[in-house]
Amino acid sequence: MSASPRGALLSGESPLVVVVGAGGVGKTTLAAALGLRSARRGRDTLVMTFDPSLRLKDALGVTDEARDREVPVAVPVGETAGAGDDGGRAGTLEASLLDPRRTFDRLVERYAPDEAARRRILENRFYRHLAGTLSGVLEYMAVERLFEVSREGRYQQIVLDTPPTRQALDFLEAPARIVGFLESGALKLALRDWFDDEGHLKAATGWKFLDRKIEHLLDRVIGLEFLREMLEFFQAFGPLYDGFRERASEVEELLKSRRTRFVLVAGPGEERIPDTLFFARRLQDAGYSLGPIVVNRVHPSFPDQEDPSDQDDQNQRFTGGEPAGPVCTPDGRTLFAWLGAQDHRGLEQLRGLVHAEQPVVGLPLQAEEPTDLEALDALGSELLRRLEGETVLVDAARHPR
Amino acid sequence: MTETPRHASDTPADAPDPGLHRAGFLVVTGKGGVGKSAVTATLGRTIARRGKRTLAIEVDPRENLHQLLGTPPSGGEILDAGDGLFVQHLKPRAVVDRVIEERVRLGAVVRKVQSSPVYQHFVDGCPGLKELAVLEHARRLLTERRFDTVILDAPATGHGVSLLRAPQVVAEAVGEGPFGRIAREIAELVADPGRCGVVIVTQAEEMPVQEARELAAMLDEQLDRRPDLLVVNGLYPPMPREDDGAAAHSPDAPDASDALFDLWRRRRAINRRELERLADSWPGEMVGLPLLPISRGPALVAALGACWLSDPQRALGSVGRRPRAQGGVL
Repeated sequence: MSASPRGALLSGESPLVVVVGAGGVGKTTLAAALGLRSARRGRDTLVMTFDPSLRLKDALGVTDEARDREVPVAVPVGETAGAGDDGGRAGTLEASLLDPRRTFDRLVERYAPDEAARRRILENRFYRHLAGTLSGVLEYMAVERLFEVSREGRYQQIVLDTPPTRQALDFLEAPARIVGFLESGALKLALRDWFDDEGHLKAATGWKFLDRKIEHLLDRVIGLEFLREMLEFFQAFGPLYDGFRERASEVEELLKSRRTRFVLVAGPGEERIPDTLFFARRLQDAGYSLGPIVVNRVHPSFPDQEDPSDQDDQNQRFTGGEPAGPVCTPDGRTLFAWLGAQDHRGLEQLRGLVHAEQPVVGLPLQAEEPTDLEALDALGSELLRRLEGETVLVDAARHPR
Repeated sequence: MTETPRHASDTPADAPDPGLHRAGFLVVTGKGGVGKSAVTATLGRTIARRGKRTLAIEVDPRENLHQLLGTPPSGGEILDAGDGLFVQHLKPRAVVDRVIEERVRLGAVVRKVQSSPVYQHFVDGCPGLKELAVLEHARRLLTERRFDTVILDAPATGHGVSLLRAPQVVAEAVGEGPFGRIAREIAELVADPGRCGVVIVTQAEEMPVQEARELAAMLDEQLDRRPDLLVVNGLYPPMPREDDGAAAHSPDAPDASDALFDLWRRRRAINRRELERLADSWPGEMVGLPLLPISRGPALVAALGACWLSDPQRALGSVGRRPRAQGGVL
């Protein structure tokens, strides 16, 4: 049973907020804005992001140093110096950039039983070339870092940005997939002694004919040499598995905790709705606590705008192959009226399609992306104002702990 | 416009993409949300209209191209979208199975192996395998001459370059062996600008531009090649009084206090700034496409095609450069 989406977002009720959504919808910026607001509300906060824009990195004042450790961000103080929003102390804000490859290397160094095992893994051709892009491993490594940080307990609030991918749920499913892989027969098979002393594939089934076929198939598809390297990698990695599996289970537990809240960020417009719904449903089906859906960059509607439908009809009729100059330089007022209408229609449709209790908030297209902390803070305030305007604070009885 | 061109090189119609029609295989890359599918559809229609039998391939969990081309969902089949254009939606897993079946003719044993959990984990986990299979599928369609042009709408992964790099990475990692040979064949195709064109789609906004520049740099570093075309999608129209001469047809001056004009002006300013940033690092060909008040569908593709062909510089305002056929170093 997952928590109600209407709990307060930045509070002790949800110490971990995970920002998810398709690529290019502004997740990273919103995650940073939420983190900043959290700190200004007096909570010690960490923002973990993947791939922020240079502008956002500049705004936060973080460098590549944040790939190795959490770095402090100078939070602008309110009118009363040193005070948070509530008149208390302002919280600290730290930022880290998630670098899966470095995390993976660190993990190998930590868990390898001895120097020889460590070197066998790090120097394995399969690891060097491929492990960094192994499906699920990259995503898993990011979660791994989250786990480390959350266990240290240094922060009251963690805001986690997720990798920019169309299938962002891959990221969430990574721990389960790794556990599934570790528990499947695949690993046991890999850990078997596959090659005999002469380098031939040992019998797999006991049926000579089938064994020869399998060896033939493997050789034709991937080549036995490559297979040997891969098996060596898994064998070298063997001693690490137990620690891995345990942690993967704990990470999954953390992500599925009722106290972990997911914010789904979506792009505007009717055409994005199926993606957004798909995302929301999969999150909920998988047992994650979906908080608000934020439809970002909604073109605003301006008063006294003409009804764009006529223009739309006219354009709908345009199907010819002839160049049509005016079509290519639409009048700005017409275009903005059309975009505003389309984005608001999309927002309303989405509201009609989700559960009645599910908050869906629109965040208007900003004239500029935030370039400094003040602008980021303003964006965060705007988002929270809209979120909390819709949020009913749930009483403690419904949410024990 | 003149009548339908027989040879693209004789007409203005080919001005927007010299070189692109030579490469039989086009890979359209870019981050999600920049309009990659719309550009793929537009490019497909434009090339097919020149008399090339063209297939647009999409690899994505959800189908998009059919909506833009006005066909039913492909469900994995090759569907006729009219005027010489065909469309196919691929599920990478199915392509891996098919490629293995085709290249490894072992009959019943193959099915037995494919249904085992070890194989399933191998296909899911083996990096580059799905990418390789998709590229191999496209390569085969071209070698068998079933199509003159195959356009691949690359999946919106972290970086589009990972698809293009997959064959090389696999070839290096696998070394010798048949799998490595396939990988090397495809790596050669991808590295050959005469056979494979790379189109980067972006928007004139900070993150997409940064990513387009990174993608171009990675292509240069890792594949020793440049993208053939940069498409800047979703440009806001020029302001009525913008200093690019567009004022002529809009006599009424905007009121500076008007919120609409303020948003328009500032989004347009971002477009201009980012276009300049692109033009600074990108000496090759660039096509700008306008943001249009047209719903996603065949009408949008037709309009984008018309804008592309009528004047590639139109949507760029005063910022765009005249295209140059040869690109320099980024």
